[in-house]
Parts: sequence; structure tokens; C-alpha cells
Amino acid sequence: MADIKTEQLTGKIKVPKINESAATEDRANRAREEQNVLLGFPPSKPDNWQEIALNKMGELLTKYKSLKLFLDVCVKCGACTDKCHYFLGTGDPNNMPVARQELMRKVYRKHFTTAGKLFPGLSRAEELTEDVMDEWWNYYHQCSQCRRCSVFCPFGIDTAEISMAAREIMNSVGMGQKYSNEVLGKVVTVGNNLGIEKPALQNSLEFLEDDVKEETGTDVKFPLDQKNAEVLLIAPSADFFSSPHIEGLIGYGKVFHEAGVSWTMSSYASEFANFGMFIGNYDLMKKVAIRIRDAAEELNVKRIVVGECGHAWRVAYSFWNTLIGPFDFLDPEHRSPAHICEFTLDLIQRDALKIDKSYNDDLVVTFHDSCNVARGSRMGNSPGGQFEIPRELIKSVCRNFVDMDEETIREVTYCCGAGGGLLTDELMDLRVKGAMPRAQALHEVMERNGVNTMAMICAICKAQFTKVLPEYGVDMSVVASVHQLVSNAIVLGGKKGV
Amino acid sequence: MAIELNGVTYETDEDGYLIQLDLWNEEVAVALANNENIKLTDAHWEVINFLRDYYDEYNVAPMIRILTKAIGKKFGQEKGNTKYLYELYPGGPSKQACKIAGLPKPTGCV
Amino acid sequence: MKGLSTLSLVFIFLCYTSAAIFLAGFVRKVYEYAVTPSPLKIPTMPAPTTKGGVVLRMTGEVLFFTSLFKGNKWTWIGGYIFHIVFLLIVLRHLRYVLVPTPEVIYFIGPFGIHAGIILVVSAGYLFARRIFVDRTRYISSGADYFALILMALIAATGLAMQFLFMADVSAVKDFMVGLVTFSPVNIPDDHLFIVHLTLVMVLLVYLPFSKLMHAGGIFFSPTRVMVDDCNEKRHINPWDR
Repeated sequence: MADIKTEQLTGKIKVPKINESAATEDRANRAREEQNVLLGFPPSKPDNWQEIALNKMGELLTKYKSLKLFLDVCVKCGACTDKCHYFLGTGDPNNMPVARQELMRKVYRKHFTTAGKLFPGLSRAEELTEDVMDEWWNYYHQCSQCRRCSVFCPFGIDTAEISMAAREIMNSVGMGQKYSNEVLGKVVTVGNNLGIEKPALQNSLEFLEDDVKEETGTDVKFPLDQKNAEVLLIAPSADFFSSPHIEGLIGYGKVFHEAGVSWTMSSYASEFANFGMFIGNYDLMKKVAIRIRDAAEELNVKRIVVGECGHAWRVAYSFWNTLIGPFDFLDPEHRSPAHICEFTLDLIQRDALKIDKSYNDDLVVTFHDSCNVARGSRMGNSPGGQFEIPRELIKSVCRNFVDMDEETIREVTYCCGAGGGLLTDELMDLRVKGAMPRAQALHEVMERNGVNTMAMICAICKAQFTKVLPEYGVDMSVVASVHQLVSNAIVLGGKKGV
Repeated sequence: MAIELNGVTYETDEDGYLIQLDLWNEEVAVALANNENIKLTDAHWEVINFLRDYYDEYNVAPMIRILTKAIGKKFGQEKGNTKYLYELYPGGPSKQACKIAGLPKPTGCV
Repeated sequence: MKGLSTLSLVFIFLCYTSAAIFLAGFVRKVYEYAVTPSPLKIPTMPAPTTKGGVVLRMTGEVLFFTSLFKGNKWTWIGGYIFHIVFLLIVLRHLRYVLVPTPEVIYFIGPFGIHAGIILVVSAGYLFARRIFVDRTRYISSGADYFALILMALIAATGLAMQFLFMADVSAVKDFMVGLVTFSPVNIPDDHLFIVHLTLVMVLLVYLPFSKLMHAGGIFFSPTRVMVDDCNEKRHINPWDR
């Protein structure tokens, strides 16, 4: 850890000169055989791996318009070349989105296009060799699938789609990534990323009830598996484990308590995160998501509200209806999932919660837009609600709010540096460097506006920043859950609720 | 990777976590801590013992708040916080402490 | 067919062949884009919530290159000018094949000539940018330079016919009209024209098999053309019903 070279914080994001092979040492760990097998993948690379991989690629080209089109139409204009946080942080040219795509495009040209077969030299067409596969391994595990590049591409080419396909192809030949596959294994067996079984979950929630009671004197409940509750709350399992995630969960609990809305969590669907997306595997994504639908039906709830988790909100908002819909068993008014920020803000705007902003007066808050929320989802009724609603919510519980540089937020927000299945220790060097753009933007408002809190709504972002910001000399205590701020300001026993 | 102690080999994974958790003993803990440049004090041991007891019962590491509370009870309120735990285990009270205590690595968004 | 020179026969054959390859190739690609399914909703958000909104978004992308504008102003200015003048030139050339030529095409005429010069200049600018910016130099391959050189050469030969070695415009028009009406006549005895025409045929044949397919592909890009109505309307994945 100590030997990671971090850039000096100046508040400015500089585009580096190309530094070839700068990030070749940043390599994700390979999954163990049994971790691959558990998910239905081959244990390890078979002898005829090349044939299998190319068949898989051919199959994906007929199943995903995005992949087919994106491999065809890039004109290499270069607009994306300075947009990826990993390029900005490492200078490794393969971390320029177009170059990352080229790793697959050159194989596509060789094996799937006429021009590439006839004139391989003209446009870099290459056989899928061990070396190429090795590059794939490296650089498709250095893409956090944040979609920032796709904002600037004249054709909307989204490198995330290509890295998902690459990981799906690699998994098809037993080249699974340890972090993602291990996590997925736990979800499909135990029900959540952390492998928390029901007794432990129950114990944790009871502990929280006691803890909140001790602190506030109020009996805030954290119900589990309660049938016929109105709301099923699905939180990322990190909310049951880490800090500042737990503080967010406490916030959700206080909101439900004060609103007088009956709610429950589920021990069967105790995970909102869905790493099936990260590895580009449709079936696993569905398998993980359907647990939530099953739990909602089993518990006979009226609606589903989800906690602070970025990529999972993309899956819920954009994909659930396709994957596991229609939700015709839910209350007709609430068939689509609600984000906890939408839920809470609505209550505050209807004056159903008593808020005392002065509890947050020691904080000067900024908001980090999480990539999957910003560019993969929406909140509320109009486009851009995913930016406005969390900000509105923060402002309704805090007096001091400042936005970071507009080039680094909302639609063009920078990834925390660990999304897309990269929140793993062996990639720490990459994670620290990938966090540079956000660290610079944060530094600027800390210096200029005295910001001391960066709130966010993503479990990965929270875990990443508490880990990497100290490398830049920024204390981990700046990282906060949005519902932690709500939790601070909510006056218990103050309102009659809805 | 592996740790050699008194002629016994203890296999560890890429991240330095014991592969066979039931082989853990206090000497292994000391060796694992050495790898992380940590000298185990009573406070460290308190964390390790708490983690192991919790794991025995629940098959998973406790939420960080449960751990801080337990440490606070034992060593006084002022030490019952994450900051103190990071002083003990700079690599993170969950991940690094779990490693030394012979628990599996916490996975997920942590 | 009587009275056609060997050279004319060869070129008439090549013209029809290249046009056929272009059409077949382009249609095939577009067909592939159209029928390949989109399993999930993946518009780059924030995205329009209605079809009308998507039409607006796409109008911006196609007419003004809005995303590229956000991405890189220097590339945008070069690329935008390049495409606009290319469009003008193509329109101007309609006067060689349309009988009678619509008024509006005559109106474009004079702009078309300036456009030719600007096309060469902007292609040179884009070429220079590829070479001098380290990031674009890294990603550029033969195909990227080839496309720019080809376009510049087509424009240069066209300009040369206009300004240096005046081509017999009516002979060119007779030849082109003959082609499009399927009653071909002799190709004008003008080396420059033959080179110009050959380069255009190369472009036609090359286009459907290259990155130049972005011209058709942009209309199918799922991140741009999909509506954000994920929850209002259930999107069905055709291979997972």
C-alpha cells in the first residue's frame, strides 16, 4: 500500500502523457476452479479454449446489438481518449476507452469481418492468441463499466458493453475473476455478497435496534422476514457490515419508523447488488435478481424500496422489468421499484418527517454522483432526476451543500475507481490511481468551501473512498451515506407520519 | 503462498488469507501479523478473539459496529470506534483483522 | 452498347459493380444492425422518456454531433466541417445525374466548389491531429489514415478538374446520366476524371466493410436511440421471453 504513487492534490485533473504498459502489473486474481464451477462455468481453460471463446463471441454478436454495432462503427476520433479515470490515473494507453475496445475489435476483425480476413494489416486484425487473451484479462478488468466514455462518443459506444462481453467470453473458457465469481457464488448459495446467513443477519439487526435505542431512546425496528409488511426493503449487504454503510441503513430504519410505514427486509433476498451485470452474464443477473421478486411475493408486500447501491439501482431501474417483471402482484401504484432517496424525499416534501437541519450544521457537504446511477438509471419523473433528487434530499436535511466542479459531476461524473467488480485488494494500485479525478475535485471544494463530507449512494463508492482517500491524505471520515445525513437530522417522535 | 512454522506449512491464498481455517493457532496469527507489519498487543488479541468467537457462532465476521461496541465495552468508550480499530489494524478492521484471526476474507462491497 | 470503347466498357462494368457492392454491403450491414436484438434497456442516461425525445436527441447527434461537441471541441470543429462540406459536395454532384436538375442543386453549386477546398483542408487538419496528439496517434491505424487520404484525393482530383484542367462537364454529365438511366455512353477522354471516378469507386466498395459504416450505424446505436421508459413499458428480450 505504501508504495503506491499518488498524484499531488491540486484540484486540477491533468491529462497524462501516454505511458505504455504503466498498468500491466495491475492484474485481477483468477477465480478458483470450484468458484467457476458453482456458477456453471468450466473450472479452467480447456485445450480448445480458442474455439469455445470464438463461438461464444459469435453468439454474443448475434444476441447483443450493442456489441455488434460498437465493434463496427468506431471511427477512432479520439473523443473518449481522455475520459476514463483509469487512463487519467495511470497513463496506460490501453486504458483509453477506444484502445480498450480495440483489444476485442482486432479479434472481431480477424475472425468476423471480410475486410479483416482479406487485409489484416490495414486495420490491425489479430488472432485470438494466448497473448491477446492475456491483454483482455488485464484491461477488461481495468474497466469499471462506468459509461463515462459513452457520454462523449459520437456513436454512443459504451465500453462497458464490450468489457461485459469480454468477461462473459473469458468465463466461458474458465477464466473467471475471483472477486466477482466468489461474490456471485455467495449470493446464489447464501443470498448475499458477504455470505451472511439468517442467524447472523438477525443478530446484526437486533444489535442495531439496541444500538439505536441506546443512542436515541426510541424503538426503531429493523424487521426481517415480516409477512404482509407494506414495503420490502432491499439493501446492499454491505449495509449490514461496513461503515459508513450501516449509518445509511440506520437512516432507512428511522425514516420508516417516523413515517409509520410497515417494512421488512428479507433473509432470502438479503442482497441488492448484482454482480451478474459486471461479468456480462444475463442468466446469472436474472438468477440473482429473481430472488428479490420471489421474496416480495413470498412476503406479500405491496411495494419494493431499495437502498443505496449504484449498479444495483441500474439493474433495478433499467433491467428488472425485463428480467423478472412484470410486477403485477404489487400495488398498481408502486409496480416499479422506488429508490430510498425518492421515498424519503417524498416523505419530507409531504411534511411527514420532522427534520432539524441544525444537527448537520457541523458538516459542509458535497455529493458524489455514482456512475451507474448517473448514466444507467433515473429517479423521479423526469430525466436527470437521478442528479436532483439526492441533492434535494441532502439539502432538505443539511444547510451547507456545495457541488464539486461541474466537469466532474452529474452526467459526466467520475467513477470512484472501483466499480464494475474491481473493488478488490489486488487491484489497489489501480483503484488508488483511478480515484485521482474524484480526489482532485473533492480537494478543490475542501480547500475552497471547507467541505468536510462527501455523501454518496453506492456501497462500492463508500468502501472504495474510505480505503483510497487516505492515500491522498484525505481522512476517511469525509465519506458519508446520504441516509446517514438523514439519520442525523431526523427528529424521532416528531411527526405522525404519512 | 504459504507460512512455514515449526516444520508445518500453512497455505495462504493470493491475498494472504489462510486456506485451511481450522489450522489456525496463535503462532500462525503472530506470523500472519508479522507479514502485515503488526505487533500483536492485548488490544489486537481482544479483536482477534472476538472475531473468532463471533465466527464460531455465526459463520461470518461481525458487522463493524458490533466489533467496535465490543471493544469499547472492554477497553473504554473512547476506544469503541472505527478510528481506534484502524489504529490497531491500519489495513482495515474487517479485512486485515479477519486475515490475522484466521477468518475468511469478507467479500462484497466492503 | 454499340460503339462503346473497351475502356468505357471496363469502366461501365466497374461502376455498376462497385455500386452494387456498396448497396448490397450497406443494406446487409444495416439489416444486421436492425435485426440483432437488444436484450436490455441501455440508453446513456439521462435519456429522453418519449420517442419524440429520442428523435430530438438523434437529430442533435446527426446534425450537430452533440456528443462529440461535449467530448472534444477541436475534433468537433474539424470533423463537423469535414462532414458538412462532404454533404454539400455530394448534393452538388446530383447535378451530374439528375435530369432535369432541381433548382436547389444549382443553388448549392458555388458552395460546392468552396466545399471541395475546405474538404481537403479539413481532412488535412484531421490527419495532422491524428499524428500530433499522442493519444490519437496511438489509436490510429492504416485504415484511419487511408480513409482521410482517400477523401482528400477524391476532393483534390475533383478540384483539379474544376480549376486546373477544365473537364468537359457536359461529357461527364452525359456519361453519368447514361449510367443511371442504364443506357451507358462512352466515358469522357479525361484522365483526371477517370482517376476521380476510380477513387470514388474505391470509396464505395470500401465503405460497407469499414468504420465508414458509422454513417448507417449511428441510427441504431442502442445507447442513443433507446427510450428511457424502462418501467412504464416492459421491454421484452426476444431471446428470453
